[in-house]
Amino acid sequence: MDINNSRRDFTKKMGKASFAAAATSIPTASFLGSCNSVPTIASKADTVILLWMAGGMAHTETFDPKAYVPYEKGVESKRVLSTFPKVPTVVDGLHFSQGLESIGSVMDKGAIIRSYRSADLGHILHTRHQYHWHTCYEPPQSVQAPHLGAWIAKELGPVSPVIPPFIAMGQRFTVGEGEELKAFHSAGFLGSEYGPFLIPDPSSGLDSVRPPQGMSLKRFEARYKLYKELADKSGIMERGSDYQRESLMRSMEQSYRLLNSPEAQVFDLSQEPKKVYDTYNTGRFGLGCLLAKRLAMNGGRFISVSTEYEPFLGWDTHENGHLRAAKMKELIDRPIAQLIKDLDASGHLDRTLVILASEFSRDAIMEGRPGEPVKDQVNQPDIIENEKFYGMHRHFTNGSSIVLWGGGVKKGLVYGKTADERPCSSIEDPVVIDQVHQSIYHALGIHPETNYTIEGRPFYTTPDGQGKPIMELFG
Amino acid sequence: MEDSTWIWILRFFGRLHPLTVHFPIGLLIVAFFMELFTIGGKRQPLREGIQWMVYLGAAFAILAAILGLLLRTYDDYTGDLVRFHQNMGIAAAVSVALTALLLRITLKGKLSSFIGYRSALGCTVIILGTAGHLGAQLTHGEDFLTDILPGNNRFYDDSKAVALLTDLSPLDSLSEAQQDDLNLEVRAILAQNCYQCHNENKQKGELVLDSKRGVFKGGKSGSVIAPGRTADSELYRRITLSPNHDDVMPKKGKVLKDTEIDLIGLWIEKGAYWSDRALKVFPEAPLALSKPNLPNISGENHPIDKLVDVYFEEHDIDWPAVVDDKTFVRRAYLDIVGLLPEPGKIAQFVRDQNPGKRNVLIDALLDDNTNYTQHWLSFWNDLLRNDYSGTGYIGRGRKQITDWLYRSLEQNKPYNLMVKELVDPTEASEGFIKGIQWRGVVNASQRTEMQAAQNIGQSLMGVNVKCASCHNSFVSNLTLEQSYGFASVFADSVLELNRCDKPIGKMAQVNFLYPELGEVAAETLKERLRLLSEVMVKPENGRLYRTITNRFWKRLLGRGIIEPMDEMDGTPWDSALLDWLAADFIATGHDLKHLIKTIMTSKTYQLQIAVYGEQQMVKSDAYIFQGPLLRRMSAEQFSDAVSQVVAPVYHAVSYTPQKGELSSNRIWHREVKYDRDVLPDPGKRYFRRTFTLANKEIAMAEVLISVDHSYQLHMSGKKVSQGTDWRKVDKLEVGEFLSPGGNTIAIEGTNEGSMAKPAGILFAMKIRYADGEEVLIQSGEKWKSTPGPVDENWTAPDYNDTNWANAKDFGSRHWDALVNFKFAEGGPNFARASLVKQHPFMKALGRPSRENVTTSRDEQATLLQALELTNGVYFNQVLADGADRWLEKYGNDKEDIVTSLYHSSLGRKPTKQEKKVMLAVLGTEPTKEALQDLFWSTLILPEFQFIY
Repeated sequence: MDINNSRRDFTKKMGKASFAAAATSIPTASFLGSCNSVPTIASKADTVILLWMAGGMAHTETFDPKAYVPYEKGVESKRVLSTFPKVPTVVDGLHFSQGLESIGSVMDKGAIIRSYRSADLGHILHTRHQYHWHTCYEPPQSVQAPHLGAWIAKELGPVSPVIPPFIAMGQRFTVGEGEELKAFHSAGFLGSEYGPFLIPDPSSGLDSVRPPQGMSLKRFEARYKLYKELADKSGIMERGSDYQRESLMRSMEQSYRLLNSPEAQVFDLSQEPKKVYDTYNTGRFGLGCLLAKRLAMNGGRFISVSTEYEPFLGWDTHENGHLRAAKMKELIDRPIAQLIKDLDASGHLDRTLVILASEFSRDAIMEGRPGEPVKDQVNQPDIIENEKFYGMHRHFTNGSSIVLWGGGVKKGLVYGKTADERPCSSIEDPVVIDQVHQSIYHALGIHPETNYTIEGRPFYTTPDGQGKPIMELFG
Repeated sequence: MEDSTWIWILRFFGRLHPLTVHFPIGLLIVAFFMELFTIGGKRQPLREGIQWMVYLGAAFAILAAILGLLLRTYDDYTGDLVRFHQNMGIAAAVSVALTALLLRITLKGKLSSFIGYRSALGCTVIILGTAGHLGAQLTHGEDFLTDILPGNNRFYDDSKAVALLTDLSPLDSLSEAQQDDLNLEVRAILAQNCYQCHNENKQKGELVLDSKRGVFKGGKSGSVIAPGRTADSELYRRITLSPNHDDVMPKKGKVLKDTEIDLIGLWIEKGAYWSDRALKVFPEAPLALSKPNLPNISGENHPIDKLVDVYFEEHDIDWPAVVDDKTFVRRAYLDIVGLLPEPGKIAQFVRDQNPGKRNVLIDALLDDNTNYTQHWLSFWNDLLRNDYSGTGYIGRGRKQITDWLYRSLEQNKPYNLMVKELVDPTEASEGFIKGIQWRGVVNASQRTEMQAAQNIGQSLMGVNVKCASCHNSFVSNLTLEQSYGFASVFADSVLELNRCDKPIGKMAQVNFLYPELGEVAAETLKERLRLLSEVMVKPENGRLYRTITNRFWKRLLGRGIIEPMDEMDGTPWDSALLDWLAADFIATGHDLKHLIKTIMTSKTYQLQIAVYGEQQMVKSDAYIFQGPLLRRMSAEQFSDAVSQVVAPVYHAVSYTPQKGELSSNRIWHREVKYDRDVLPDPGKRYFRRTFTLANKEIAMAEVLISVDHSYQLHMSGKKVSQGTDWRKVDKLEVGEFLSPGGNTIAIEGTNEGSMAKPAGILFAMKIRYADGEEVLIQSGEKWKSTPGPVDENWTAPDYNDTNWANAKDFGSRHWDALVNFKFAEGGPNFARASLVKQHPFMKALGRPSRENVTTSRDEQATLLQALELTNGVYFNQVLADGADRWLEKYGNDKEDIVTSLYHSSLGRKPTKQEKKVMLAVLGTEPTKEALQDLFWSTLILPEFQFIY
């Protein structure tokens, strides 16, 4: 689909409704200190794909391997820095952990930040760090903070009229800490209009954008016609034209048009050739990457794909860390590499920023960060007599990796560094979340001081509007 | 540049710019008008004059542009405004040159018409005008034009400054009171004009003007005030510089008024005294109620109507019409009990000849305690940030007050008592001030004590404490010290002030936001809370009562008397009305139902809706009351109305006011991964429970069963029933399957779908022997389970299940309590939405997640909402359920279906035309699908979704 074309289409189809909605939303836009227009930044990307490694992915077991100490009965915990050997990537001198060979093979198209430092929020609660990662604010807040995707949806709107501008895939909310997960999968004070379109299971994504199951298109059209006819005939509220009634009628029409549109087929994974489907299909995460690819190529704006957070599962390895990290790498390696290759081949990678990240890292010994000890959540013996204890089972907040591709990011760049000896902390160019958000906004051309006034308070994309993008990332 | 002799020449020429710019503007504007006179070939003699004006104009414009560039470069002008002016000026010069060229070409005959040149001239005049305007802004200040417009000086009214100047200037020495007044007025001027940059946070030029210490410490370039010596004071020098001087203050083109400058000068001259009194820059509503007398209006009986009559008189508005009975009854039901009136009740009401029937209906509805409570509960849950699920509960960092709230509403507890119990809580109501605590370290401004201060401020007192919990507020008079002082009431220990999350080494002093109401400092926490609760509910604290009255008014008429409702220092559209209502509320015993009654029995409430074309108008200060607003049903009202008309939207509640006899929980097979309990995978699981019965006659044996997702029930080897909908409770008579001795319940349950998710069997069996003894068997951990496979004999009583595991109790959190899971008959057959846990359907319709206090919901329709209503699986399932029920009830009677649907949903019979359209859809024999579509089309109608 031609993006420019569809954008024009959108304005034509929905312009009136969206403008009306924008004009009446409660938060008011403001750029403090500049009474005049805001300087615009040239954008490098139109679309963002966030590959979310939920649960705390150990950098030393994935993208930043350290000295490999193989398992043997009686090995000392403190000697174990990595439980996998290093493997080379396509970039000279850049090594990943074994099991990430496919991703390694596309690193000539990407960059890696090795010095991300999570916030120190005291006693570790995954969802609180995730909230912080996704909103840039530490909960609780006196007003509800918007998700990164909601800011982007609000500032840039949809690329294509049929693709909601903020799509979140892979996470269910019926799991432990579900309420905390819901708290940041939200547009907060920006208003539900900019909230996430949730697709827990990418293989059934199509259901959300077509007429209700079992309803033919013909019936769908007839039903809408009936409603319109009855609405026209109802004499109760004929007096004048009330904004409330108008906005209700408009929103129904908008939704009817969206669900009736053939472009929604982009959500249909069964249209992919079997070979492609199989390459991606390592489970729900892999299929999420496949849907993300289709969306990015057809007018998605912000798309997140999560390995899904469920306490003690996924990347949240509190035991059997080695075994489970190997499984997680199987889950992500092939589909992510394929996603990058496909986007690159079709030319979409230039305008699509892909980011892989996790709320914090893990370590075999250290809980929290050096100098700020927090309560250990896992018992780790000094001498490992059982393979169950071989792996990274504690939460480490002082260094982790973020991988990026496309969207103007400098190819082959390695930014920042962690120590080779424990604690494997960020020792060069440490990066905090404000910089990560601002770098994403920078790529998208969103002004760093974007803010809205809510309850008398200017609320910025990053706290106090002080975050700065990492300019070295961009070529 | 070294050569300074050169520079002065360039600077000199540069300063001629303001002179030269006027020539081209004058010349070209005159040329433009004369050109207009020549259109159509008239007044040709003007042509030569115009020609010269354009040429001269072009020459001067180019000259002015060059001089302008010199001025900018050598006199050091910077900033956005300068840049815009410069660009515009250059554009103007280019444009005028082009115009002149076009004119020349045209006159030489190379162009056939004047169109090109005339358009160019037009554009030139516009660009010149803009450039000129920007230039004028540079010279005179950006608000040169606008600041004389009426209503444009929102805060600072200089009449006080003028009075002070006149009174104090001639005096040799000032009294302390006069010094106080003078200083406070000066600080008000500083606040309006300087705080934005010179506050503790920004400290531009290292200067802080919002505190005594800052003012006398000075900034980067030293002290700014020389007491007694106005002329030597840097601050005075800066504000008296010419507006385009580099050093002038304030920046950004603002200029102080002469009276402001003189007053600051006077203050310095008189010794720059600093008052200890707190500065109140922002307008603040008086705490006490004004207790207005009711006007003596003979035509109106109701106090509200008397007051509104005066208001209408003042605003030249004629009383709009009052709604008819049908509309009134629907409005009254939805507002008091949150439900639609049954068709029979509407007809009965319309027929009633009693002239006081509206008041009778209001009384009757208010007496329906259960439904009143279950409707108003949502309002209070929003306001008090109370919910059945949400963040914080996970680590016991949050506590519900549902039971306390429910009982309070049910008993119509006086509002002052409610406030006292919220502030000085019992165990049941402590959740409100306990706040939400996340695991880990939180920002100082979000500690739970501060949350208590913020929430009491916002919900109960209508004042924004949030801003002042990080730094002195920029939107009200509240200071950081006051917020910390208030938060300290709720703290175990003395709090240290934190500015923007950094401790500033100052300890808070316990106080209430409005210290004039009374002392709240005491040794113990308990004592402080008691004092606060007493101080807050004093009748002198009119603000408390105004705030709740205003909220009720908004809830019933769509727009507050003051908006926004959380900032009660705003201007009411009728202060007499608001204060009378609040005073009456106190006088009649803080009775919330009485307040509702007072409002609803007025003619004012019963007016037809006032139509406004735009929402901005309604929210703005320019709003004029002309009647109630059209309101959208809340998420809860909509869900309940659909439950009433079509089929239950919700089946299970999170809070049950009355505890039943059953304690069954959902059970499922325990599933483990990596040594941890996990959500069950899809597939079949098998469950058994054996029990022994006495050898006595059984009088009655009933089973209640509900399984997520589906089940087959066997008893003693025989199949009893099956089901596929966990929300439906199957009630079964099972006496025939029981026998004395060993018996078995065997259930095959299926967890459907493709992902692991909660599944569970909920079961209860009651057996009553003829002698009256009762046996109750319920689902629980005594049950055995296996993932299979099983052989065909697994349902038999003698089957050996010793190697099966014990089932896992999944509690009921995920499913809540099904309202129909009870042996007794009667009661509602759907779950009131206010008692239901937050759910995606209601969330889409605007029910807030109550992480923060929510005092007004977004009523605007959104696309996500419309999508949920159009293809949401949940809503469509309700419609399908409804179609089954209606077909069962009405069969083929199409006329009856159509009429009943309109009666029950819209409270009226369909018109002929509507009937025709709907009958056509139903066809000869109504199908389930046709009925679903009919429901959908009706429930989506504005007439259904709005309270009008």
